[in-house]
Amino acid sequence: MTQIEIGRLLRAGTTGFITGCSVSQFEAPSFGALVRAPLGGQHQVYGLIYDIHIDDDGLVRQLVTADNVSAEVMRDNRERRIVPVEMSVLAVGYEQDGRIYHLLPPRPPLSLDVIYLCDDKDIARFTEKFGYFRHILNSKETPVGELVAAHIQQASLAHDKESEKWKDAATREVITLLRDDYPTLMSVLGALSDVSG
Amino acid sequence: MAINFQQVREKIHQIGAGAAQRQKLLEERRADARALLRVHADAQDALQERVDAAREVDAGLRCATPLNEKLDSSIPPPTLPEQATLIAADGSQITPDRHEQIQFGLVNVGGIIMRLNSGESTLIHTDSVLMYDLELFRNGVPLSDGMVALERDLQERSQLAELAKDYDAPVVTFTDGPIELWGAREGEEAKAYYESLEKYKGVLSRLQSRGVITAGYVDKPASDLVVRLLEVVKAAPEDMQDIRNYHPLLGVTDRWLFGDKKEPLLEPGHRSAVFSIQSKSEKNYPGVLALHFFYLNAGGEEKNPHIARVEIPRWVVDDPAMLGMLHAVLVDQCRIMGAKPYPYLLHRAHETAVVSNEEKYQVEQMLVQELRRNGADVEDGSYKQSAKDLSGRTGYKP
Repeated sequence: MTQIEIGRLLRAGTTGFITGCSVSQFEAPSFGALVRAPLGGQHQVYGLIYDIHIDDDGLVRQLVTADNVSAEVMRDNRERRIVPVEMSVLAVGYEQDGRIYHLLPPRPPLSLDVIYLCDDKDIARFTEKFGYFRHILNSKETPVGELVAAHIQQASLAHDKESEKWKDAATREVITLLRDDYPTLMSVLGALSDVSG
Repeated sequence: MAINFQQVREKIHQIGAGAAQRQKLLEERRADARALLRVHADAQDALQERVDAAREVDAGLRCATPLNEKLDSSIPPPTLPEQATLIAADGSQITPDRHEQIQFGLVNVGGIIMRLNSGESTLIHTDSVLMYDLELFRNGVPLSDGMVALERDLQERSQLAELAKDYDAPVVTFTDGPIELWGAREGEEAKAYYESLEKYKGVLSRLQSRGVITAGYVDKPASDLVVRLLEVVKAAPEDMQDIRNYHPLLGVTDRWLFGDKKEPLLEPGHRSAVFSIQSKSEKNYPGVLALHFFYLNAGGEEKNPHIARVEIPRWVVDDPAMLGMLHAVLVDQCRIMGAKPYPYLLHRAHETAVVSNEEKYQVEQMLVQELRRNGADVEDGSYKQSAKDLSGRTGYKP
C-alpha cells in the first residue's frame, strides 16, 4: 500500500472529518479524491474530499496589497507560517479486518491521526461496488454533482483496463439512485457530461 | 459602572473647547520649526557649536546633531543589491510574577534569515532561555520588568551576531526598536544595566569586525531629536541658561517635520540626513559604535508618508555602501507589507518570538509537575490573582 500522507486530523464526526496540512504539503490531495484514515489494527475510515479550504490571516491580507510578492516571501508564508489548508472529507465507508463496508464508520478517527491518499489499488478495492454513492447523494453539505463527477473521473482511472466499463456502471447506478430526484440527477449528469467531454 | 462617565465627559468637553486654540498654536510652531530647518539646513558647523554650548548647560541634553548632509535632505534609496543575506530578530519575555503559582522568567528570541533573490524559503531560529531560582536575581536584586526587557534586548542583538557569522557579506541585520540599550542607569538596577551594556557592546563589536550592517528600526517614533535641535538653535542667550525647560516648539514632532501629509519633506522611500545622537549615554558607545540615526519615509504613496527612525552605529554611517544597502533593503522590506509598511522580516521575527498566554501556562505547568515529581513544594497562586481570574462582570483589565 503506497503511503501518501496528506495531513492530520483536526476534528471529526461520524459523517465526516476535517484534515489539515501546511501549504507545502498541499500537492497530492484534490477535490473528489478518496482518502483513508487508519484507526489502528485492521480498521480504517474512507472518505471523499469535498472541500479544500485555505484560510487567510492578517499578514496575508496585508501582503496582497503589495505590488508584488517575491519568491522568498511566498515560500516563507507557505512553508514556515502556520496557515493550514483544511480539507473537508465526507465519510463513505470503512474497512475492518480486511473487509470493506460502505457504511458510516463505527467511530471517527481521532485528533492528529494521519490521513493518507488512497492509491489505485485502494480505490479499485473500495469502489468495486457502489453502496457508498448514497452517502454522497444524500449529503446536504457537499456540491453533489461536482463531487460525483470528480470522483467518477478519478476512480475510473484506478480501474485501468476496466475504466470505461466501471464509469458506465457507476453512471447507471447514479441514475438509478436519483430516479426520483430529477433536479439533482440533471445536476449530476450535467457535471458528468463535462467530465466525459 | 467602572468609570465615572459624568466626570470624564466634563473633561472631554473642556478638551474639545480648547481644540481650535491648540491647533492654531501648533500650526504656528510647526511653521516656525519648518522655517528653522530650512534656514539652518546647511549650517552644520554652527549647529554643532550650538549643541556643544547647550550641553555645557545641560549635560543630559538629548537631541540630534547633524553630520555632513543638509538638514532638509531627501535622499532616494539606491538600487536593491542582487544578493544579500537579511537577518531580523525580535524577542518577547515572561516576567516573574509573585502572584503566580511559581516564579520563573523566560526570554524568547526569534531570528529569521532571508537571502535576497535566492528563491529559497526563510530559515527560522528560536532561542528560549528559562530563568528560575537564583537566575531571577541580578546582584541580589529581583528581576524587574525592565531587567528582563534588558536581557531580551541583549539576546536579540546576540542572536543576530550568532546567525550572521555563518554568512558571507553583505549581511544586513535589524531589530525592532532603538539600537541603544535601554535600562535603569541609576538605583539598584544600575549595576545589572552596565554589565549588560558591556556585553552588548561586545556583540556590536563582533558585528562590526565581521562587516555586518546592523540597525534598529523604530516605527512611529516618539522622540523628537531634530525638533529639539531646532529648539537649541532658536534659543536666545538668556534661554540657553535654562535650556532644559526651553521648549518653544512643544507639540511639533520629528514625524511631522519629515512626514507632514500636506508637504512631506521626505518623498516615498527617501531617507533624511544622518544625524548623530547627542545624549548622556553618548560616552557609552565610543568610536565605531557611536549611535546615529536617519528618518525613513517607509510609505509608498506621495500623500501618505509613514516615518520611521532607523538607528545605526558609526561603522555603518562611515561606509556609504553599507548605508545605502541598509536604506534600500528597508524600503524593499517595507514595500512587501503593502498598505501598512513595516519591515516584513521584523514582523516575521515577532511572529516567531511572541509567547502566548497558553504557552506561558504550558511552561508553568511543566515546571510545576517537574518540581513536584522531584519532591519540591509548590505554592498556590495568590488569592488576589485567583480573584482576578474569576469570570463575571469585571472592570477593564489592561
